[in-house]
Amino acid sequence: MSYRRHGKRGHHADHHEQRDYYETPEQKLRKNIIHYGEVDPLQELPRLATQIFEHTPTNVPAVTEGFRIGVTEQPFKIPYYAALLRLLYDRAASEEATEPLGRLVLDDFWKAFREFIEKHAWREMRLCVHFFAHLTVARVISARSMYDLLDTFKEVIVSIDSTHNRSTKAALCVAEGLLIAGTVLKEDPSLDIFNLIETIQSFIEMDQKIPTKLLVQPVVRLHATKNVIQLGDTKDVLEHAGEWLSCALSVLRTLAANDFAHTADSVPQPYLDSPPLTGELFDLEAILVPPEVEEEGVESSRKGEWPQCYVRLFDDDVTPDPTTPVGYILRSNLFDMIDIFEVNRKECARLLLEYPKWTLPGTFKPKAGAPPQSPVEGKGWDLENTLIETILDAMLLLPESAHKSIYYIALITELCKAQPQSVGPAVGKSIRKLYALLADGLDVEAAHRFAEWFAVHMSNFNFIWVWKEWIPDLTLVSQHPRRSFMRRAVEYEIRLSYYDRVLRTLPEAMAEPSVQVMPESAPGPEFEYEEPESPYHEPAQGILNLLRGRAKPDDVMQQLESIRNQLSETIEGDMSVDTLLRSITVQSLLSIGSRSFSHFLNAIERYLPLLRNLAAGQITASGSPSADARRDIMSAVARVWRRSRHMILIVFDKLMQYQIVDPADVVAWTFTDYTLVVDGQAKKTFNAFQWDLLKSALDKANGRVTIQKRKVAALSREADERAARVLANENASMEVDGDAQLDAAPAGETPQLTAARNAIEVLHREQKAVLRRTMEGFLDYLAVSEAGAEDKTEVLTEKAWHNRANWEDDKWAIWETWGWFRNWVRTFAPYFTVGDNQQMLEDLAQSMYSAHPTHGGTRLFQAVWNIAVGQEPVWDDPEDA
Amino acid sequence: MAHVITPLDQPSNYKDSQSRVDRQTQNELLSKSTTLYVGNLSFYTTEEQIYELFSKCTTPEDGGGIKRIIMGLDRNTRTPCGFCFVEYYSHAEALACLRYISGTKLDERIIRCDLDLGYRDGRQFGRGKSGGQVRDEHRQDYDPGRGGWGAQAQRAEIERRREVEERYNDAQDVPGAVAGGGGDWKDVSENPLKRARSPDDEGESGRGEPRAKMEEQEHDASRM
Repeated sequence: MSYRRHGKRGHHADHHEQRDYYETPEQKLRKNIIHYGEVDPLQELPRLATQIFEHTPTNVPAVTEGFRIGVTEQPFKIPYYAALLRLLYDRAASEEATEPLGRLVLDDFWKAFREFIEKHAWREMRLCVHFFAHLTVARVISARSMYDLLDTFKEVIVSIDSTHNRSTKAALCVAEGLLIAGTVLKEDPSLDIFNLIETIQSFIEMDQKIPTKLLVQPVVRLHATKNVIQLGDTKDVLEHAGEWLSCALSVLRTLAANDFAHTADSVPQPYLDSPPLTGELFDLEAILVPPEVEEEGVESSRKGEWPQCYVRLFDDDVTPDPTTPVGYILRSNLFDMIDIFEVNRKECARLLLEYPKWTLPGTFKPKAGAPPQSPVEGKGWDLENTLIETILDAMLLLPESAHKSIYYIALITELCKAQPQSVGPAVGKSIRKLYALLADGLDVEAAHRFAEWFAVHMSNFNFIWVWKEWIPDLTLVSQHPRRSFMRRAVEYEIRLSYYDRVLRTLPEAMAEPSVQVMPESAPGPEFEYEEPESPYHEPAQGILNLLRGRAKPDDVMQQLESIRNQLSETIEGDMSVDTLLRSITVQSLLSIGSRSFSHFLNAIERYLPLLRNLAAGQITASGSPSADARRDIMSAVARVWRRSRHMILIVFDKLMQYQIVDPADVVAWTFTDYTLVVDGQAKKTFNAFQWDLLKSALDKANGRVTIQKRKVAALSREADERAARVLANENASMEVDGDAQLDAAPAGETPQLTAARNAIEVLHREQKAVLRRTMEGFLDYLAVSEAGAEDKTEVLTEKAWHNRANWEDDKWAIWETWGWFRNWVRTFAPYFTVGDNQQMLEDLAQSMYSAHPTHGGTRLFQAVWNIAVGQEPVWDDPEDA
Repeated sequence: MAHVITPLDQPSNYKDSQSRVDRQTQNELLSKSTTLYVGNLSFYTTEEQIYELFSKCTTPEDGGGIKRIIMGLDRNTRTPCGFCFVEYYSHAEALACLRYISGTKLDERIIRCDLDLGYRDGRQFGRGKSGGQVRDEHRQDYDPGRGGWGAQAQRAEIERRREVEERYNDAQDVPGAVAGGGGDWKDVSENPLKRARSPDDEGESGRGEPRAKMEEQEHDASRM
């Protein structure tokens, strides 16, 4: 061995690059298996099989690795890998060997499958199940052992230890395995495939006791909550929202009803061309799926506890219906590809566009210019529309998509770059479909992501959009979701570009500020005290000049104190002199920092001591935090950046980062002051921008806990290692000398560790405060009726919803507020169940409800809350009893 | 998932040609880097535009976010010269940009992102002979976004130019001229005034320093 290395590679010893390119025959074989079929899978099949057989010495691990990577990373090739393995079953690897090579590889593959199980790698497990299922149809694996494998996963579904997430994933393994292999399993009457199907069905039914679907379906019907809970009426739940597992179930029902006759026109089965095997069938060994270990941090473990609901944008003749066998398989493959190739969006786009070659002929419409194919009844879908619809479904998944929105956005961009002629129109159609849904209850968060996608997409394609087709909608009321969308899309475009550029893209009728699409002027700061005639111009100018000259913080504080003395006598109105001084200082600071984000950072970093004093309600002295003072600071920020809300977000983020204000302050301000300061009118409604503020505060509080936990983990690891070292030294010294040096042993925790642990406590309190303040805000907005105040429940009835064409602004605003409340509970539910948070929040709700008569809003609020925290909701409506 | 296709967040051949650390140390630093070098920007692109796009890769729920943006300036004219540094709080965020943002458009130009060793004073300025970036020294093509403007440029661009020219005329090149962006959360009870009230705590000297300075030092120390 060493000789060979010297002889062959030693030659290139110092050419590192060259060595990287050197491939062993094993690596080459593996590569050929992974890249199998890229030109023509059927043509390559016998050639590749021969190559594997002729490779000497036989290297089973290399072949298996090729299969393992091929199957788990290229789901679209699985039927062809099954065909390849079938060929490897034809003969033994060499004359001495008795076992067919395919059997050895499958034995080895089984070990890899077991490793995926140990690692809880569910996607890989599921794709291995696909592979086994195809091999069962190819008559390589015995039907009985395949059934037993599916039965093992069935046990996971019903296991009481399983989380919802785990049960769902196991159910998908069963469903997809059956979908492919049912055609063979049904032949043996002793295999009870209906039992498998029924288990999935009863899991779905059990799940409906807590109708979580209501909270995550992309198209919202507020009245559906009551209908479902009180009357068990689910018609509104099913509309528009295909829940993924239910799709799988209805596919199985369809297949079973037709004796699995449709499998052959749903999935490719290239292995059926091979003659039947003569030898013994392969038996899959029994497996055990180990229970999931509790992950660090309760928060992460609750992710994925929601059903996956997708929206259909196109008709069944344009894109495949996921409740049909073939439609489900196509979707499933595409979802997996989007997920697996997330690391390289460009390659992902290429593979998606090449996907039709792995499907049955006639599945997709032939490309323009390609030789015509004989049309297949009920197929011939549009590839580009299917791709965009599937990507958007993944992006709009509620409460959270698997990857960041920007990934899906960038993926669509790559598709458009690769084939602008065909993908471009598909994008345009999808935008129109989503836009149409805005008027029919598209979820607020989904609409938010839609606007984000729209703006980033346009920013990549010269901002070209046919805005004029939406001109007729300018007659809708201002708070109508479509008009909100237009405003928001334009606002986001301006953030990525600039005012005049976006203005040029709009038709005249829309460019007019009076129609409220474009803001009146380019975003910029407003300094309240700028004009010589504005009140307090002179003192403000004095402070501004000091800051401009980069005066020392102490000097600025002195100056402020003296202004305070002068003004406290003469101040007019009900504003306190302290509020005025905070406003002057903060506005002046932002004004000198208004040139850019960096200028702003420099300005506040230079005057941090001053800002800290201000936040404590003081000027020259420090003190404990003052809620009023912090409120004033935030309001001053919002006044300056009223015409550039993006800056309000940026400034608040940094004020939290520098600990001038706390996340809880930002939450409070968002509920109590935002509308008054920015819109000039106090309202109890919540919009997308308030959501951005709220989310940034909640994320900040949660992120701090995460960081601190990581610090504690690192410190305690360090401490453990130190203790182990000391112990080892002790033992070593004991061997030499009987006297143990006990004094050298570490006395418990290090001070850093104790401090870090205490800090977690502080941060947990902060986290709690943020949740509490949010709950209070939403309760106040939605669940508490005040005498004389407008009822917040008018938008909740079915009748009202059908009359939405006549809604005025206030109704849409309330509808949107409900939307954001729902978004809050479903997105942050994992944090509610930490510690005693849930109790605290429920007590708060009780205390606020009881102060006022209960009404429909309270009931919906409670029902939504219960669903989010996993309790069975009730609807006790005395009027309906 | 690196078997079938190459991930986009692999290290590229970009390097800081003036960095004095050896290749291996550079690679180690890059494998933890939270800073991106962003190139091929228009001279007119603002930090807020950059912030908007790059905030789409942040993970605030995990303690992340944009720490700061440092605009690359022409050494002589103190105007943007087409590159910047974006510093995050976490390495994962910088990697996400390589996957999702690098190679897409900002302000109608295809930008490129690379992991960077980290900002040091002086790096905000162009290294070309005339003050801008070296690549603009020898460029033959007409590029309206990178100083190649003239009669053909839109009037709006000229207005933007005026703003841009004024924006950074106060830029300095002394140490500390660039803000830190705010460090990790600190327990406020460690502040000396509060500490004084608690007899159990031992005071530490130097705690009264403005926080920004301390953070800047810690920051630099951890960098190299």
